[in-house]
Amino acid sequence: MENTATLKRKKYFDFTLLFIVLFLLGFGLVMVYSTSSYVASVSSGDDFAFFKAQLRSIIVGLFVMLLAYLFPYKYYKKFAPFILLASFIIVPLVLTPLGGAEGETINGARRWIFLFGFSIQPAEIVKIAIIIYSAALLSKMTMKERQSLRGTAFILGPAGILFLMLLFITTNLSSAIIVFGIAYVLLVIASKKNIYAYMLLIGVAIVGVLGVIMIAKGIGSSIWGFRGERILAWLNPEAYADGKGFQVLQSLYSIGSGGIFGKGLGKSMQKLGFLPYAQNDMIFAIICEELGLFGGLAVIFMFVLLLFRLRDIVYYTTDLFGSLLVCGVFAHIAIQVVLNVAVVTNTIPNTGISLPFISYGGSSVIFLLAEIGIVMNVASNIDFATPNVNYQETIDEETE
Amino acid sequence: MAKEKRRRKLTVRSQAKIVSNRLGVVFLIVLLAFVGLSARLIYITKENNNDYQHKILSQQAYDSQVINAKRGEIIDRNGTVLATSKESYNVILDVKNLLLHDENEGNTDGTEHTLAALKNVFGVDTEKIREYIKDTPKSQYYQVKKGVSFEEMSRFLMYTTKPENEEDNDTLYDKNVNSVWFEKYYVRFYPQNTLACDTIGFSLNNGTASYGLEEYYNDLLTGVNGRKYGFLGDNSTQEITTIPATDGYKLVTTIDSNISLMVKKHLKDFMFEYKDNVREGFGANNVGCIIMNAKTGEILAMESYPDFDLNDPTDISEYYSEEEINTMKDDGTLKDAYDALWKNFCIQDTYEPGSVMKPFTVAMGLETGTIKGNEGYQCNGYLTIGGHEIYCHNRAGDGWLDIKGAVAQSCNVALMYMSRQIGAENFLKYQEVFNFGLRTNIDLTGETRTDSVVFNENTLHETELATASFGQGFNVTMIQMITGYAALVNGGYYYEPHVVNRILTSGGSVVKNIEPRVVKQVVSETTSAKIREYCNAVVTEGTGWRAKPAGYAVGGKTGTAETVPRGNGEYVVSFMCHAPADDPEIICYVVVDRPNVAVQEDAKYATIISHEILTDVLPYLNIPMTEDLTEQDIAALEERELSILTNRTEKEDPDADSEENGEGENENNGDSNND
Repeated sequence: MENTATLKRKKYFDFTLLFIVLFLLGFGLVMVYSTSSYVASVSSGDDFAFFKAQLRSIIVGLFVMLLAYLFPYKYYKKFAPFILLASFIIVPLVLTPLGGAEGETINGARRWIFLFGFSIQPAEIVKIAIIIYSAALLSKMTMKERQSLRGTAFILGPAGILFLMLLFITTNLSSAIIVFGIAYVLLVIASKKNIYAYMLLIGVAIVGVLGVIMIAKGIGSSIWGFRGERILAWLNPEAYADGKGFQVLQSLYSIGSGGIFGKGLGKSMQKLGFLPYAQNDMIFAIICEELGLFGGLAVIFMFVLLLFRLRDIVYYTTDLFGSLLVCGVFAHIAIQVVLNVAVVTNTIPNTGISLPFISYGGSSVIFLLAEIGIVMNVASNIDFATPNVNYQETIDEETE
Repeated sequence: MAKEKRRRKLTVRSQAKIVSNRLGVVFLIVLLAFVGLSARLIYITKENNNDYQHKILSQQAYDSQVINAKRGEIIDRNGTVLATSKESYNVILDVKNLLLHDENEGNTDGTEHTLAALKNVFGVDTEKIREYIKDTPKSQYYQVKKGVSFEEMSRFLMYTTKPENEEDNDTLYDKNVNSVWFEKYYVRFYPQNTLACDTIGFSLNNGTASYGLEEYYNDLLTGVNGRKYGFLGDNSTQEITTIPATDGYKLVTTIDSNISLMVKKHLKDFMFEYKDNVREGFGANNVGCIIMNAKTGEILAMESYPDFDLNDPTDISEYYSEEEINTMKDDGTLKDAYDALWKNFCIQDTYEPGSVMKPFTVAMGLETGTIKGNEGYQCNGYLTIGGHEIYCHNRAGDGWLDIKGAVAQSCNVALMYMSRQIGAENFLKYQEVFNFGLRTNIDLTGETRTDSVVFNENTLHETELATASFGQGFNVTMIQMITGYAALVNGGYYYEPHVVNRILTSGGSVVKNIEPRVVKQVVSETTSAKIREYCNAVVTEGTGWRAKPAGYAVGGKTGTAETVPRGNGEYVVSFMCHAPADDPEIICYVVVDRPNVAVQEDAKYATIISHEILTDVLPYLNIPMTEDLTEQDIAALEERELSILTNRTEKEDPDADSEENGEGENENNGDSNND
């Protein structure tokens, strides 16, 4: 016991995780400058405009990360219901004057709230909130409860409501999917065998496939609206080259033209106004164009390393709430990276989704770094003397 | 208690273990997804590398901006501009930028002030623009107005240009006006409107042109468009490179617009004087006139009527009623009407030359030695050839004529005798020497080929030879006739006719000087002198007496040729003349196609026009008078001057440069014509 106490006093710091995140941020900054300098110099005369904004966000984000690292994560458990409540309130705020006056929306969508001169995406707050809420609730439940319909409903219910709110209030499908995906993954991870979750997955898959088939065959096109056209553009981007297929087609051009080692850093031609949102959602396409297949795969490899590191922390974390928090962050990053690369390569229909740590976007970077801070705090409590790996030992103690 | 706590902890711990294991499974799934996406990346790169590279490059090229080259000017020999390219601008509104400006400012002043300024300067409908802004807020290219002038643009730019002097109150500057730019292009402009329209031709946009100089010299006039494009520099910055446009070359023509104006005036006068005389329509189907420098082949004027405004070539309302135009549109003959109007009568229409051929026939005889020059012929009004009685135009007979008399009286019988002496072989040889059946290679588009409408050994029989001697049975163009006649009277030198003297760069340095080019000597100096003598007699004692301008001795030859089909009284009458008589400086050739009179067989319609033209042109060219003026002459000249003066004073703006304003003067003179 004495041994354990001394170990606890000496906190663990995960330098590997920090290094990977800093590397991704730095690489992201370089790519943001590369992709945005032309557009920035044309529109504002300052080719560093996007770079500077992103650098500011990163500095703020690193500070937030430090705070989150120092803040004991166990307290989140107590506040979890309030955090969820707050996220229910904050999403509709985009409709109030806080979301900007009529006609002052950015890119025509109401996705931001403006507070003290900052613009924040509520969707990013909701992502953290759902991680904390789901982790807290699941860690309180017994295994039986988690696998029950009631337990499933308590997790997926709020997530479903948030999904609908994000979809209909902010018209932000991708964030809605991420939020629901996080809750779903946490539920599945925390339960040994949740029949309801599996049924839901199968149901969604069947509806999805049927929907795509119907849209492709042109059945009930009036119901689908512009999302229907998005599916059609996905199936045949060349046919919709002037409309919905334009962005993804340009993205494919970028990737295809890069070759194995790319055109060289800064030498993308697609970023000169051809590929919309080159510094945001489509930054991976420009990475592939400039750094080639090699660069693209290297970025994917860095994310694999990051996820592996998170998995490792879970591996050594003995506290259920802590490991579920890390799992939530894992789910968030994994879903976002997979969806982003899938969109850019036209593997799934186009939906605006950014690449974590690399894409331009203040809210996203700040809240992701906050999540990393929480992960670091969880990791700092790792007790290497009694890792849960040593299953045999635990069993022994239990049978004692 | 401790045990309970421990148990609890263990439960949690074992659950954490479950989480850890299941996360491992999720991690594997994610890994699989990454492997799948990587495979897709590899596939995209491998399958489409070259293809997509080309696509990207082609998009880039599409994005680059063309800088329009300015089409070269065409000026006359004195520097008067015949054709030029005026800058014109399209007003473009960048809606996206406009809204971005408003967003940054936090108000809508930018949009409001910009729209107000646009309305103020260009008088555009702001509601339409507002609607466009609302519908397409991301558009960066909206054409507010097309083709505004430089002055209008400058007026708008006063809104956006900051005055140097801050206290300057007399300024329109408004910092809220933004996001408007101007796209420059060129519009072809012909300041002389109808002047030499057939000869100049027209260009509706740079690169394509129809008829005349514009088409013939299109490649030189067009220039090379420049290009502005962006590329990535070493510092991964966007760099703009501009390849400037090379403006087209400038043509200095041999045309003298003053002479052209005089010619046009008299042609038009004739057309209106005989308008609706015996049939509906102008004084003739067509009337054309070429004035050529006898010693260089330079064209000083090449005019015909009906004409058209080069600035609006498709406007034919002057000649056709709206109904007629609609009918033509329906039955597809509108194109034919345009062709008829736009083509150059002087080089594209063929006709039988008639008696103007006679000096050529005489020259053949003199050159080949088949005629000595001292022959005499008896004309009884007709000659029987091959069983046909071929009449002289004077059926009573001209009596005994020497060669000079035969030409002066335009006796067909005498010429038929001569053609017998010359023979078919010589005739065919000299037909080619005088370039009949061949193009003159004048530097204008559309000169007609005449090789199939002249004689060859199979078609030139006894009768044909006889009639060919006075210019019937074969066809020529005006330019062939005048070029050949110039050679006959200038000492025998056949100059290639040309309209362009010099080709200059847009900056004015000489690219090419076009020197007069002697193609061949068609007759000897002595023959030429004799022909001059005979032709001078035409004016002094023969059929061309009406053409003589006061104070000048000129020579020439009349022509009347019955059109095909024969016998319906339709004639092409013409007069070819050289001035001064002994040392020709210019040749003037007037052709009237089917004059609107009861008896068309009279060359006076051409000789009178020639007289009018020569009376104006010779003094203008500073050719000294050689003859004494009779009292009649002086009276006529004074009256003429008076009519010009009254015309001038009648004008609303007497200071206006009347030489430049061709149409105005023509109309005035036409109205007050009391000849």
